Amino acid sequence: MGTTIAIILFGMGVLGLVLRRDLVIKLLALGLVNGASILFLVSIGDRAGAKAPIQLVGETAIVADPLPQALVLSAIVVNFAILALALVFVMILVERYHTTDSTRVEQEVTREIDEEKTPCL
Amino acid sequence: MIARWILLALLPVVAAIALFQSRRLSAIIGMGLFSFMLAAVYLLMNAPDVAITEATIGAALVTAIYVLAIRRTGRLTVVADEVPGLLAREGDHIVGLEYEILEGFARHIGLDLSIQFVPLRRVRWLVAHQEADLGAGGMIRRTDSEGALASTPVHLETGVFAFSNGRQETESAPLGGIPDYQGYFSELLAHDRQGTLSAVVGSLDLARVLSLGRVGAGLQDLGRVEGDYGYAFLVPRQRAKLRKDYAAYLAQLRESGQLARLIKRHFS
Amino acid sequence: MTHERFRTLLAACIVVVFVALIGMMVALSNPDPVDSNRYLALNVEETGASNRVAGIYLNYRLLDTLLEVLVFSVAVLGVRHYLQHSEGIQLSSLSESEVVQTAVSFLTPLALLLCAFFAIFGHISPGGGFAAGVIAASGLLYVAIAHGMKAMEARLNPWRLARIEKAILLILLAFVLAPIALGKSPLSDLLPKGTPGELLSGGSILIYNVLIGMKVFLGAWLVIAAFAQHRGEL
Repeated sequence: MGTTIAIILFGMGVLGLVLRRDLVIKLLALGLVNGASILFLVSIGDRAGAKAPIQLVGETAIVADPLPQALVLSAIVVNFAILALALVFVMILVERYHTTDSTRVEQEVTREIDEEKTPCL
Repeated sequence: MIARWILLALLPVVAAIALFQSRRLSAIIGMGLFSFMLAAVYLLMNAPDVAITEATIGAALVTAIYVLAIRRTGRLTVVADEVPGLLAREGDHIVGLEYEILEGFARHIGLDLSIQFVPLRRVRWLVAHQEADLGAGGMIRRTDSEGALASTPVHLETGVFAFSNGRQETESAPLGGIPDYQGYFSELLAHDRQGTLSAVVGSLDLARVLSLGRVGAGLQDLGRVEGDYGYAFLVPRQRAKLRKDYAAYLAQLRESGQLARLIKRHFS
Repeated sequence: MTHERFRTLLAACIVVVFVALIGMMVALSNPDPVDSNRYLALNVEETGASNRVAGIYLNYRLLDTLLEVLVFSVAVLGVRHYLQHSEGIQLSSLSESEVVQTAVSFLTPLALLLCAFFAIFGHISPGGGFAAGVIAASGLLYVAIAHGMKAMEARLNPWRLARIEKAILLILLAFVLAPIALGKSPLSDLLPKGTPGELLSGGSILIYNVLIGMKVFLGAWLVIAAFAQHRGEL
């Protein structure tokens, strides 16, 4: 169940990334894609009748798989860092072209390239 | 078990609602809620470490950073003095010639328009200190730039009328030291009731003269001051790109004849 | 329909087909986590940490965690660098009302206490260094909301915080490379394991958690401060 929902969310995130024009909402959709991937990994490790993976020596209860959880912890933090950096770039773009509409930003950039002005930072 | 299924089934619904909002702030808060529900799902899947990390990072920090980022981007702040005909409140709406020009300009450059009504004297100070992007509300254009302020091209010519007992002012300045238009207005009305309006010295631009006339205050001895005056917007001098964008937009309005249509609609 | 809408619809169809293919591949495969059986069987005795997840990402896969901390630092560096040359407005010195200040004076110590708890007890109970750092940064964010950004900038100079953050990164690296001096390979655990479930168990997991907590706290706070300074107020 968790894996199917994760795939659905992944698809919705990518659709939102493609369909919406606003740059900030594109970033939000990217965050949704991240969350979906992490949900997929965590739900793989979950088995029937399991408990949290914290136990002392000698206990033999069935626990959830700790390996995907450990991998996913780093993934969450790295996602956050990349999101912050992407947001900085979006802010700089918006300040320069005064619009958050991605099609208009593309038009302005191609216009600047045609007029031989370099659109660099 | 049931809680987990319900939450999992709700996740795509919340995500769909959040991503297809019209306002950016609503989308951000929706995704914050989605993060929170995701953290609850992780907890129900026996992953407490992941749940804590996702809750703090996704729901608190990411939402905070987005809100910090979008508030500045995408908004055109205008401080204005209220002038009937040019920019005035009517109940819930704002109407006027300058409002239509500003709204078209904001849509043209892709920002939200936000108008704040402040006393007349504050407008120049706020724009000079870059606390707002534009100053509006019947600002008379003096020279091209003075100190920290610059003027945009004129969108409506006007005359400056001085009422006096002989002396003539060449500046359009409020009377006495009253900093706000309402106070100015009521003081003029008070003078009118007392019958001492002709003893008052001052000068008014056309829109304010018209609005006084609408209330029935009779201003005698109106003399027109020599010179070309016009209404324009105030812009901080450092915002060169904003001035260029606005000049281009105004030129486009003028050429397509839309400016003339707007003026005719509001002032005839 | 117009050209642009046709292109959007085509892109949406391609995306749906692609995701459906991935979905089918995933659903028809059988992800049997065979390798993790080793972790499940032996984890707690080997690492000495009662929290298996902490045992994995701070003992078996310490290299991944180190590189991830490095990626985080680079991202913080990038955010600070690119927001340097923006047209900044003067920092506003408005502070909020009494209600907000009182509420914050109750919430922030709680947040900092949670940070300390997660960092120090990260090997016994859920938590870990990353959550600790982020909670402390949002605790400071509450203070900044209540008292205005100018007051925060006056007391916590961002440049000094950046230097402290880099120093902590160097200390972390020193910890990792220290076993070379004793003839062992780097990334190995020097401190004693102890009995799982006690505070002083799990080798150097405790120290790594605390160091990572401080590093993430400073990094996240620097990112927030850069965004707030670019905006001019909070």
